[in-house]
Amino acid sequence: MVFTRPRAGTTDNDVARSADALLTRVARASAGRTVAILLCAAAAAAASLALPAVLGRTLDLLLDGHPDAGRALLAAVALTVAEVTLDATVALLAGTVGARSTAWLRLRAVRRLVAAAPHDVNRFSPGDAATRLSVQATEAGAAPAGAAQTVAAVLAPIGALVALFLIDPWTGTAFVLGLPLLVLLLRSFARHSSDSVSRYQRVQSAIATRLTGALGGARAIAAAGTVDAERSRVLRPLGELGVEGRRMWSVHGSATARSGVLLPLLITAVLAVGGLGLADGRISVGDLLAVSRYAALAAGLGSVTGPLGALVRGRAAARRVNELLAVPPLTHGREDLPTGGPGTLELRGVGVRRDGAWVLRGVDLCVPGGGTVAVVGRSGSGKSTLGAVAGRLTDPDEGEVRLDGVPLDAVAADVLRREVGYAFERPSLRGATVEDAIAAGAETVSGDRVRAAARAAGADGFVRALPRGYHTPLDEAPLSGGELQRLGLARAFAHAGRLMILDDATSSLDTATERQVDRALAREVRPGTRVVIAHRLSTAARADLVVWLDGGRVRAVRGHAELWRDPDYRAVFGHVDVSGARGER
Amino acid sequence: MPHAFPFLGRHRGALLRLGAWSLLESAQTFLVGICLARALDQGFLAGRPASGLVWLVVAAGSVLLAGPALRGVFGQLSGLVEPLRDGLVRRAVGQALNRAVADPARAAEAQRAAVSRLTQQTEIARDSFAGLVLTVRSFLFTAVGALAGMLTLAPQLLLVVVPPMLLGLVLFLLTLVPMAAAQRRFLDADEEFTDRAGALREGLRDLVACGTTDAAADGARELIDEAAASTRSLARWTAARTLALGVAGQLPVVLLLVATPWLRDQGVTTGALMGALAYLVQSLLPALQTMMTALGAAGSRLVVVLDRFVSSEADGADGGGARVAQAGGPGPCADPDPVPDPDPGRGPAPAVWCRGVRVSYGAGTRPLVEGFGLTVGEGERVAVVGPSGIGKSTLAHVLAGMHPPDEGAVRLAGRAVVGHSPQALARMRVLLPQQGYVFAGSVRENLAQLDPGAGDDRITRAVTALRLGPLVDRLGGLGADVDPGALSAGERQALCLVRAYVSPAPLLILDESTCHLDPAAEEHAEKALANRPGTTLIVIAHRLSSALRADRILVLDGAGTAFGTHESLLRDSPLYRDLAGHWNSSG
Repeated sequence: MVFTRPRAGTTDNDVARSADALLTRVARASAGRTVAILLCAAAAAAASLALPAVLGRTLDLLLDGHPDAGRALLAAVALTVAEVTLDATVALLAGTVGARSTAWLRLRAVRRLVAAAPHDVNRFSPGDAATRLSVQATEAGAAPAGAAQTVAAVLAPIGALVALFLIDPWTGTAFVLGLPLLVLLLRSFARHSSDSVSRYQRVQSAIATRLTGALGGARAIAAAGTVDAERSRVLRPLGELGVEGRRMWSVHGSATARSGVLLPLLITAVLAVGGLGLADGRISVGDLLAVSRYAALAAGLGSVTGPLGALVRGRAAARRVNELLAVPPLTHGREDLPTGGPGTLELRGVGVRRDGAWVLRGVDLCVPGGGTVAVVGRSGSGKSTLGAVAGRLTDPDEGEVRLDGVPLDAVAADVLRREVGYAFERPSLRGATVEDAIAAGAETVSGDRVRAAARAAGADGFVRALPRGYHTPLDEAPLSGGELQRLGLARAFAHAGRLMILDDATSSLDTATERQVDRALAREVRPGTRVVIAHRLSTAARADLVVWLDGGRVRAVRGHAELWRDPDYRAVFGHVDVSGARGER
Repeated sequence: MPHAFPFLGRHRGALLRLGAWSLLESAQTFLVGICLARALDQGFLAGRPASGLVWLVVAAGSVLLAGPALRGVFGQLSGLVEPLRDGLVRRAVGQALNRAVADPARAAEAQRAAVSRLTQQTEIARDSFAGLVLTVRSFLFTAVGALAGMLTLAPQLLLVVVPPMLLGLVLFLLTLVPMAAAQRRFLDADEEFTDRAGALREGLRDLVACGTTDAAADGARELIDEAAASTRSLARWTAARTLALGVAGQLPVVLLLVATPWLRDQGVTTGALMGALAYLVQSLLPALQTMMTALGAAGSRLVVVLDRFVSSEADGADGGGARVAQAGGPGPCADPDPVPDPDPGRGPAPAVWCRGVRVSYGAGTRPLVEGFGLTVGEGERVAVVGPSGIGKSTLAHVLAGMHPPDEGAVRLAGRAVVGHSPQALARMRVLLPQQGYVFAGSVRENLAQLDPGAGDDRITRAVTALRLGPLVDRLGGLGADVDPGALSAGERQALCLVRAYVSPAPLLILDESTCHLDPAAEEHAEKALANRPGTTLIVIAHRLSSALRADRILVLDGAGTAFGTHESLLRDSPLYRDLAGHWNSSG
């Protein structure tokens, strides 16, 4: 198989090999059907190879009025039917195998994606991940069927060339001599066309760049009332696009003209040589018919580039899909947490490395069960990373995190997500309706609990005011930043376990709502340990304990009142007094 | 599709010229078969190989004719295809911009879709349309040449060849509608899955944190299965099309052989028979095959893409219309407000005056502010502070007349903000958003965006006042072209500040539009803008230091707002104390 051949290179080599191994596994998953494609395509090629000879012979017998003509005619009919049916079967099988292989790849890649630590897939932007899972999985999925078809696509032209030589070596020679010309001309086409195509694409992306720029400045344009000027400015290169586009068609046209002329000329030359053979009595009229069809078939060698190109693309695509499959999964153990545990959180010598640099190092911390700890520090000091490690959204590169004495990576996935909850600064909500979005979790909760959680999060009021209340479709609910945060909080409250991590989750709330949420968190939500990452002073002031992070290390763990005496600590909150009014926070 | 006929009608000329060039192709097809027949009958089979060769040379000559014919065809083709693409690009750009301006908050989300529509989808339409025109035209004109050739060779040939070909074509046409449906189902399923895949990646952190990854994967699985099912149904129809092609292309050949004894009896020569076979195998079958492939795949893709352009245009018009109706009042530039001046006879009207303002994101949603009132005197400098997401930008939009309040009135220098065209509003106030928008164009065009008639001296004065001479010099002076991508975010914001300075509007609203400048540059910029003659400055503060420089500070805190000086707010507003880093145990 073409795709199992390893490529030269060092690390590239491994990448290519694992991508090829992936394609082999894909092919093996539909082994029977892939072999069937190969057989049918080969049989169709054989039928198309036999047909011209049989047609020629039939014609000869019919012209002679020979009694065997009927039988030959039957054979020709049978071959024709076989070729057409086999072609249709190959089309059907190739489509179904492609569908199956694509689904196989997509399912595995999706499962791997959702099993990964979120941080590990950050390097795939949503658009990139979507492309890999859609277009590229489709191209990779088409590769096995493409490989099988390529084999057949090579068989027919080569067989036809052999047949030419068998019928009349002179015709074969004429064809072979004419062929290099074909190749030469086609090559010059590729060069010219890629030139004009790349110029065209440059203009096109210039328009796209202007458009994205303008969309990014939508507020400014709306405020300035210059939308008409913007439209004509974005479209300014359109004339140039038309010029390049016309040039592209004209290059394409002359290439098509050249190749369109070449094949009929080649066949005419072969026919001339064959015609001389006919005059000499070397071949019959039927042979001449066969010769003309074999010449056309042999010229079909050029069309091998179609399936071959698909195969090459499929291989490249497999490599991109494979990068998704190579993301390490976040594996979970099978242990339960002690029943009724208070939620004691311990971090021992925890360090996290990102892109070769430590963003968190040597963190030792013990949060007693039921306590509230505030994590503060300037932006970039490692607060969110600490939050991610504490609830196992990511694993530490060194050290250990324990909840009620059990290492987090030993805890079973369902237990972990039931007992540890998160609320974020910008939550991403999923679900058909507002209610579904709050209810979604390790366990889907009842409508009553959804409403109670929404009340606690200060969300009940505005949700009720939505056109269809809790049943308003999520994408039809106009939400401000603060409202979105409150729905995220409600989701966390509805599923509250023994540990809850609030990562800047109240930053857009007004003071009154924040106080209300804080009170509700203490009284109405299931009690447990809280880790609160915050920028606001009042949050730190209300916590039992403050963890002050500075450059990825713990600078101090103490009460807020005690820390407040330190001017460095006050600076974290942008404290300004009148004398420092001119300074930056 | 209702747009197809008017479009073709508008480009009748190109269509006719295309037909004329294609007739040359018919002639070429016609000659190839005739020459082959004559070469056999009068040459190779008649023992005169020389005249056979001559006939084939004529055939070769006619083949060469196809070269210029195809070049001409492609020349006319671009006259049809390029205008189509131009139209689609214009629509894509116009739709994207109109929608973005109507709802700037969502403009960033719409970028990917807008670019895909501008590049990918217009290209699909362009290639599919060109493919359709080329192949359908090629089949039609090849068929004309081939049928005319057979008619010339021996009319009986048509009796044998035409019925099976028609049968195949009818079979093919029958597959066309279900094939298009299958193609559309496939494209829809693929698109839905692609969206879901992107959403999975985007929301992965929350999915993992909530423990809903399995449910998400199951949801994706349904879409994967639907995509696979649609691919299989497409494959079934492709197979059906292959059968139809077999009937149309191969059945005539077989029937020709079956009918050979009868044709011989009718006096049809061997050469004529071979010519007919050549017409079928060399000309008609390839033309038929490419046309069927193109119609089956490109045809339905084209319909789907054009459909989307048209339907999304309808959506866009609805959305935009509703928005305009909200904001519009009786008509652009009219002053619809009969309420007299708020402070008649007591000096100049305040720069900003609003009373009883209620603002929300949409009908039925909770208001950001309610019963809000504010008076800012001419020349005053006001800062707005509050937590992120509390609605500071929305309030700026309300004051700037870009977001109609549900209730209440807003007046700038005594004139109501509703009922003005965007251009008229731009002369009343400047709103600089956080994202400094610099476009590809000259420095002068960029700086004079809010007052296109501004002379170089005014622009230069503004540049000097903001101390941005070095930046403008580095860009190559006012006449030089800027590449927005090569500027830092701070440089873009700096250029936008000049734009605000140049504008004739007396009220400047800066919505965190200095956040990428360093504190010293920010301080100077605010001072320079505040000192611009006749200027009232409202700054939505990114740093508290801006607030401390203001005459008065507006604190937004949900339903409760506070307006006053730094000292009074420290006393009265708990939120302000919080923001200012003044903690006390009672707070």
